[in-house]
Amino acid sequence: MAEYQIRRCDRHLTGGIHPETHKQLSTAEPCVFVETPTRLLFPIHFSGGGPGEALVRVGDPVAKGTPIIRCQSGIVHVASRAGTVLEVTDHAMAHPSSERSACIVIEPDGLDRQDYLSPMNWPFDAETLRERAIEAGILGLGGAGFPSFKKWSNRTQTLIINAAECEPYLTADDTLIRIDTHSMIRGACLLSRTLDIQTIVIGIEDNKPEALEAIECALKESRSDCFFDIVLLDTKYPSGSARQLVWLTLGIEVPTGSRSVEAGVIVHNPGTLAALSRAIDGKPITDRIVTLTGESFTRPKNVIAPIGTPISHLIAATDTNPQSLHSVIIGGPMMGYRVTDFSAGITKTTNCLLAREVEVQPESPCIRCGACATACPVRLQPQQMVAALKGDALNRAIHEGLGDCIECAACNAVCPSNIPLAEWFRRGRFEMKERAREHQQASDARDRFEARNTRLERLAQEQEAKRAARKAKSADALNKARKAREEIS
Amino acid sequence: MIHRPAYPPRETRLVMRSVLIALLPGIVAMSLFFGAGVLLNLATAIVTALLSEALCLKLRHRSIQPRLSDWSVVLTGVLIALSLPQAAPWWLTIAATASAVILGKHLYGGLGQNPVNPAMLGYALILISAPVAMTTLWINPLNPPDVEAAWMAFIGNPSDAYTGATTLELYQSEFSALTALEAKQHPLFANAQLGFIYGYEWVALAYLIGGLWLLYQRVISWHTPVGLLATLLVISAFFSVDPDTATPVWVHLIAGASIFAAFFILTDPVSGATSPKGRLWFAIGVGVLTYIIRTYGQYPDAIAFSVLMMNFAAPMIDHYTRPRIMGREASIKGPGGQS
Repeated sequence: MAEYQIRRCDRHLTGGIHPETHKQLSTAEPCVFVETPTRLLFPIHFSGGGPGEALVRVGDPVAKGTPIIRCQSGIVHVASRAGTVLEVTDHAMAHPSSERSACIVIEPDGLDRQDYLSPMNWPFDAETLRERAIEAGILGLGGAGFPSFKKWSNRTQTLIINAAECEPYLTADDTLIRIDTHSMIRGACLLSRTLDIQTIVIGIEDNKPEALEAIECALKESRSDCFFDIVLLDTKYPSGSARQLVWLTLGIEVPTGSRSVEAGVIVHNPGTLAALSRAIDGKPITDRIVTLTGESFTRPKNVIAPIGTPISHLIAATDTNPQSLHSVIIGGPMMGYRVTDFSAGITKTTNCLLAREVEVQPESPCIRCGACATACPVRLQPQQMVAALKGDALNRAIHEGLGDCIECAACNAVCPSNIPLAEWFRRGRFEMKERAREHQQASDARDRFEARNTRLERLAQEQEAKRAARKAKSADALNKARKAREEIS
Repeated sequence: MIHRPAYPPRETRLVMRSVLIALLPGIVAMSLFFGAGVLLNLATAIVTALLSEALCLKLRHRSIQPRLSDWSVVLTGVLIALSLPQAAPWWLTIAATASAVILGKHLYGGLGQNPVNPAMLGYALILISAPVAMTTLWINPLNPPDVEAAWMAFIGNPSDAYTGATTLELYQSEFSALTALEAKQHPLFANAQLGFIYGYEWVALAYLIGGLWLLYQRVISWHTPVGLLATLLVISAFFSVDPDTATPVWVHLIAGASIFAAFFILTDPVSGATSPKGRLWFAIGVGVLTYIIRTYGQYPDAIAFSVLMMNFAAPMIDHYTRPRIMGREASIKGPGGQS
C-alpha cells in the first residue's frame, strides 16, 4: 500500500467564480467506445507539438500505431487505426483559428493490425523515458497540448496531478480517473522514480467523490514508495489552472515569466500520466476520452474515441443529428472555442464537445464596476486592460498586466455589460507574442549583422597585421642583404 | 430573507435598478420631511434626463432604446433631483439635469466614458451659475410646505415662510459667532425629537438603510462609504476639541449630503477609482476636501466640488493602487511559504 494522506486545501483562490458545473449531465451514462469512423483526420501542423511533416504518402498502408507525423519539437503522432492513407489535403480543423490546413486523411479498414513500440523494462533513465514520450506522442491532454517531455527537469521536487477539472461541463478527467486510475497512478510513480521525485500531489475538486474513492482504492493496492498528498480543493473556477493549482496545493507562487517547472514543480493532467503508463508498455496515444455534453445533445456521455475522429461522428454517437446543431464548443464553456465545420477531426487536446443554446446578450459600455477585477484569479484589473485594448494601446494593456492573464474568462462570466473581455485579452496576448517574436527576429538580425561586422573587421585587421608583418619581414631581409653586401664590399 | 448574490447583478440594467431601489427609503423620508417639492423635482429631473439622453443619442446616431431602458440616465436624474434644494423652481432642475446629461455625459462619449460624475457636474454648474437660488431655497423641515405651496415654489414663487439655508450653512454663517450651547438654542434643535436636527437624521437614516442594502447586494463595496464617513468623522472630531468654533461631528455626518454621497454619489464606478484600495483613497480624498471646503470655503456643502476634484485624481490613484498581480515581485518560495 502506498502511503497517502487526504487533506482539505487550506488556501483560497483569489477571485474565481462559482459557475453552474453541469457535471452530472455527462456522467449519468457509462463511458463507451465509439465505433471506428469511416475517415480519420490528422492536421499536419496543428496536432500539437508544433508544425510537423508527414511521414507517410498517399496510398501507404498504416497500422494502428504507425508514425504519420513528426513535429518540430520531435513529437510523433501515430495513426489511431489501421487503414490506408487516402489523401493529404487542406481540410477544416478543430482549432481556435478555424482555418483550413493540410491534413492526413486515413480510411480505416477495420483490421486490427498494430505497429507498437517495444515495452520498456524498469529500470530506465530519464533520457530513455523522454525518448519514449516523444515516440509515443505524449502531450498535455488537458487542453494545452504542451509536449510533456519538455517539463521533465531533473531539479523537480514535486509532481502535481491536476485532477481539479474546474471547467464546467467537463468530465473527461473525472471519467478517466474512475475507469483507469491504475494507469494514472502507475504513470505518476514511474515518472517520479525516474526523475527522483519524492512527493506526488493530487489536486482534486471536492465535487468528484467517485474519482476520489477510485484513487484511494488504487493507492491501497499500489506498491509504490512515493508519498501521495491528496488535496481536496473547493469547487471554484479556475482552481485547475496550473499556476493557481501550484499555489493552492503547495503555496508556491510561480513568478511572472517563468513556468512552474522552474519552481521545481511538474503539473500533469491525469490523462497524460495514464498515456505515459501505456507508452511505457509500448502503446502510443491512439485514443482519448472525450466528454460529449450540453443540453443540445440527446444523450450526453463520455466516449473513448480514436484521435482524428470527425466531430460529426461523435455528435452522432450521442444519438443527435449533426444537422440539428449550428456549432459546438470544443473545450468547455469558459475557455473553449467554437467550431462550425463538423467534418474536422478531433486532436489529442480535444477533451470536450459542448453543444448548448446560449442566448447572446447585447454588449453595453463598461461602467468600470470592477466585478471582473473581483473575479480575476491573478488580481488583474481587466476593466483597465480592456479599455487600453479598445483604445489600441497595447503597451498600456501590457503595463496593466496583459502578460499575466491566464485567459480563464472568469471576467467574462461576471461582466454586467456582457463585454467579451477574454476575447480581447486572447487577441491582445496573441498580438503581444507576435510583437515579441518580431522584436526577437529584429534583434537576432541585428546581432547577426554586428557579429558579421566584427568578424569582417577582425579579418581585415588580421590581414593588415599579416601584411605589416610581411612588409617588416621583407624590409628586414632587404636590410640584411644590404648589410651583407656592405660587409662583402 | 433576501438572497445575497455572490457577485453584483449580472446586467448593467440591474445594477442601475438596484441603486434606484436603494434610493427609495431616502426619497420617502425626504418627501415626508421636506414636502412634495422633492417629488416634483424628481419628476422634472427624470423627464429631462430621458429627453436629453434621447436627443444626444439621436444626434450621435446611436440606437436610443437600449440606453434609455438601462436606467442609467434615470439614475443620474434622480441623483440630481435629490441634491437640489427642495423648493427649487422647475428651470433650475431642468438646467442642472440637462447639463449633467449633455455636458457631463454625452460630450465625452456617453455611458462609461465620462471622466467626472455627471450629476455632480450638473449640480456644481448650477451652484456657480445660480448661487442664490441654490443656497436659499432649502426647506425648513420644521415647517414643510403643503402641496399647493410646493407647487408655487416649483413654478417660481417660493415663500420665505418655509425656505432657508441648510444647517451646514447656518453653522458657517449665523452660528459662527455663537457658542455651542447658544447654537443649540436654535429652534431646529429645540424641537428635535431624538436629539440631532429635526428631519435630517431620519433622512440620513433612510439613506443609510438603502446604502447598506446595496452593500449587502454587492452592488457597491464597503471601501467608498467607510472611507468618506470615517474621514469626516476623524477630522471633524479632531477639530471639534473646541466646540464653540467648530461645526459638531454629527452635523458633518448627518446634516449635509454626507451619507447620501457616501453610498450613492462617490460609488459611481465610471468616474471613481477602480481598485478596492483606490476606492478607499478616493473616498478619503473626498472626505478631506469636503471638510476643508465646508470649513474654509465659500460654499456650505462641498461634496460636489470634492467629488469633481477627486474624479480628476482617479487615474493617478488607479496608477498607484494597482493590486499586486499574482506572480509579480514574488520569489520562488518553498512549500508552506505564504504569499
